[in-house]
Amino acid sequence: MKIHSKSEPTTEPRRVLLIDDEAAFTRMVKLNLEATGKYAVRVVNESPTAQAVANEFKPEIILLDVVMPEADGGDVAIQLRQHKITQDTPIIFVSAMVSRKESGSGFYKSGGEHFLAKPVTTELLSHSIESVLNQKEAD
Amino acid sequence: MRIETKQVLDTIQSIGEVNGAVALICLCRNHAQLREHKDIIHLVDDYLLAESLVEGELPTRISHAIRRRHKEEQLLEEQNLLKQLLENIPDAIYFKDTRSRFIKVSKAMNQIYGFADPNEILGKTDFDLFTTEHAQPAYDDEKAIIQTGKPIIGKLEKETLPDGRINWVSTTKVPLRDTHNQIIGTMGMSRFVTELKQAQDQLEREGRLLKTVVDYALAGIFVKDTEGRYLIVNQRHVDYLGASTVEEVIGKTLHDFFDHQEATRISINDAKIMKTGKGIEYMVDHRISLNSKDLWLLTSKVPFYDKDGVCIGLVGISQDITGQKESELKLKSTIQTLKTTQLQLIEAEKLKTVGRLAAGVAHEVKNPLAVVTLGMDFLKQQLADSTDLIEVLNDMQTATEKANHVIFELLDYSSPHEISMVPKDINELIEHVISFMRHNFNEAQIELQLELSPDLPQVSMDTQKMEQVFINLFLNAISVMPDGGELIVRSFEQRMQQAGSNVSGNMTECFRIGDRLAVIEVKDTGGGLSSEALDKVFDPFYSSKSTGDGTGLGLSVTQSIVDMHRGLITLENRTTTEGVCARLTFPTTSDHENT
Repeated sequence: MKIHSKSEPTTEPRRVLLIDDEAAFTRMVKLNLEATGKYAVRVVNESPTAQAVANEFKPEIILLDVVMPEADGGDVAIQLRQHKITQDTPIIFVSAMVSRKESGSGFYKSGGEHFLAKPVTTELLSHSIESVLNQKEAD
Repeated sequence: MRIETKQVLDTIQSIGEVNGAVALICLCRNHAQLREHKDIIHLVDDYLLAESLVEGELPTRISHAIRRRHKEEQLLEEQNLLKQLLENIPDAIYFKDTRSRFIKVSKAMNQIYGFADPNEILGKTDFDLFTTEHAQPAYDDEKAIIQTGKPIIGKLEKETLPDGRINWVSTTKVPLRDTHNQIIGTMGMSRFVTELKQAQDQLEREGRLLKTVVDYALAGIFVKDTEGRYLIVNQRHVDYLGASTVEEVIGKTLHDFFDHQEATRISINDAKIMKTGKGIEYMVDHRISLNSKDLWLLTSKVPFYDKDGVCIGLVGISQDITGQKESELKLKSTIQTLKTTQLQLIEAEKLKTVGRLAAGVAHEVKNPLAVVTLGMDFLKQQLADSTDLIEVLNDMQTATEKANHVIFELLDYSSPHEISMVPKDINELIEHVISFMRHNFNEAQIELQLELSPDLPQVSMDTQKMEQVFINLFLNAISVMPDGGELIVRSFEQRMQQAGSNVSGNMTECFRIGDRLAVIEVKDTGGGLSSEALDKVFDPFYSSKSTGDGTGLGLSVTQSIVDMHRGLITLENRTTTEGVCARLTFPTTSDHENT
């Protein structure tokens, strides 16, 4: 898959909220996704502030790290799903804690949730986001 | 010629001294002379009166005199013999009349019963000498002899004397007949056998005691001759042989109760005991009876000898310990199960720890990898025009993927997995382990020599665990050969034999006779092990390496894994060269099919 260039946006970029305590990782994801021109990425490195940012940003999709200090991915997800603004926003969990058997190609579903295994390529990130959003629209 | 009486008497005495068989005839002229020499007449065989001698009478009278003299001589001789007999034989000899009164007894009899005067006993009966307890039956016997004429030969009699003494005699009594063959009483002879009888009684008592001990002992007791034939056996041993009665067993051999192989095995053992004179004590003997019943006996056997020291057989005592043995085997099996379970638990616990560790490592490594991956993605996009840089980035990406792969491997390894036993060719597994350890062998300058039997039956195993066994053994071998050496890995099939030939006690506990076993030997050329090390090498945390070189868990874990596979691991110093031979023995699947 070719990487999209900035000059090719066709529609409004999708709002992606990225919650992960690893600043280097979030910076890289933001850079790469926004470089495709398809996404507008907002980063949260301190999970307790996630809900406030989400309320304000109103993401179409949330990329959520699992293992974080303070509130972990599970707690954050519960909180987001309880809030009316974010309750229907799809979440993709991004985790380093998966075995190859679990992860398969890297993007998979387990217990009704979407997962992405770190490390992840921009291509896979984009593919996963599209796939989840398309699925939501189809529903 | 006129001869003086005194002169004649002297002559007669002289003749008698020279030859008693000479017949003497006194020749007198007339009756007057005869009267004159009446003292002589008593001493000669006949006399003649010359005046009344008729013609031809003299030779006849001489011949008669000679015959008479002969008869008299014979009679005297016989009387002498009887006298000698009665005076010298130490047995009691007696003659009795029809009323059982003594009419003549031997000198010994007088002495035995305390008669100083030889005539004192005459006219007495047994009732005068003994109590009624003996006198009456003796009297009845004599009455019967007189009535029937039938003798009593060698009857053992108990003589009870009035003073309380008891004599045991062997008596022979026969009818006493006169010259007309009429029974006029009895005669007999009693030989004193009190000591013999006491010895016999003692022997009988000992025999009875022995029989009681043998019959009621809580063990099987047997005596066999040198040909292996049962001479004595008690009911308990009869039961061990699967027979019903003692009579059924006496005279028979082991071959009548066990199959040929079993009987031969025990017979050879017995022959060895009789030949060497060395008995055996507390030998645990496993026998299979003709009806295929398992029998475990604890046996002791010793040779026995006659008075000249010649071995004439074997005495044995066996205790049935089948019950104990069964509980022991059950206990062993329980412990084995427990050990396996425990090992699985330890494994699970260990993997949990490793798993947690791996997960942590994965998390810490994967996050930076994620940053690097995405960073490269971004750089590639930015530097799309520079082919060289893209190439460098691609290489970096490949390297990152490799690192990621390693993390996945770690996660895979540490994720708990259930032990699954599948039949597998153990040679294949050994070759696989060697293939990924080849680098270690090369680095340690160890030359490998593989002697793997191509026809080895499959072993049911958990591949991952079994790999660990060989990895541990190979790593140990490498560590004991710091300056290089040779490692021989040999596999072969072995059929479980009877104990004693090629089999140790451990083997009999682990496997059954006839089992097909796979044996793998791993031999190094290191320095070998001290006897202390050989004793402790399987103990957890024992290590012959200096502290820090190893945890000392390797062989303990190895043994646990071997145990889990119902196998056996032994370590011994090599005999042909310095070094250790680790021998692994496993039951094969061909064996499982039969059991």
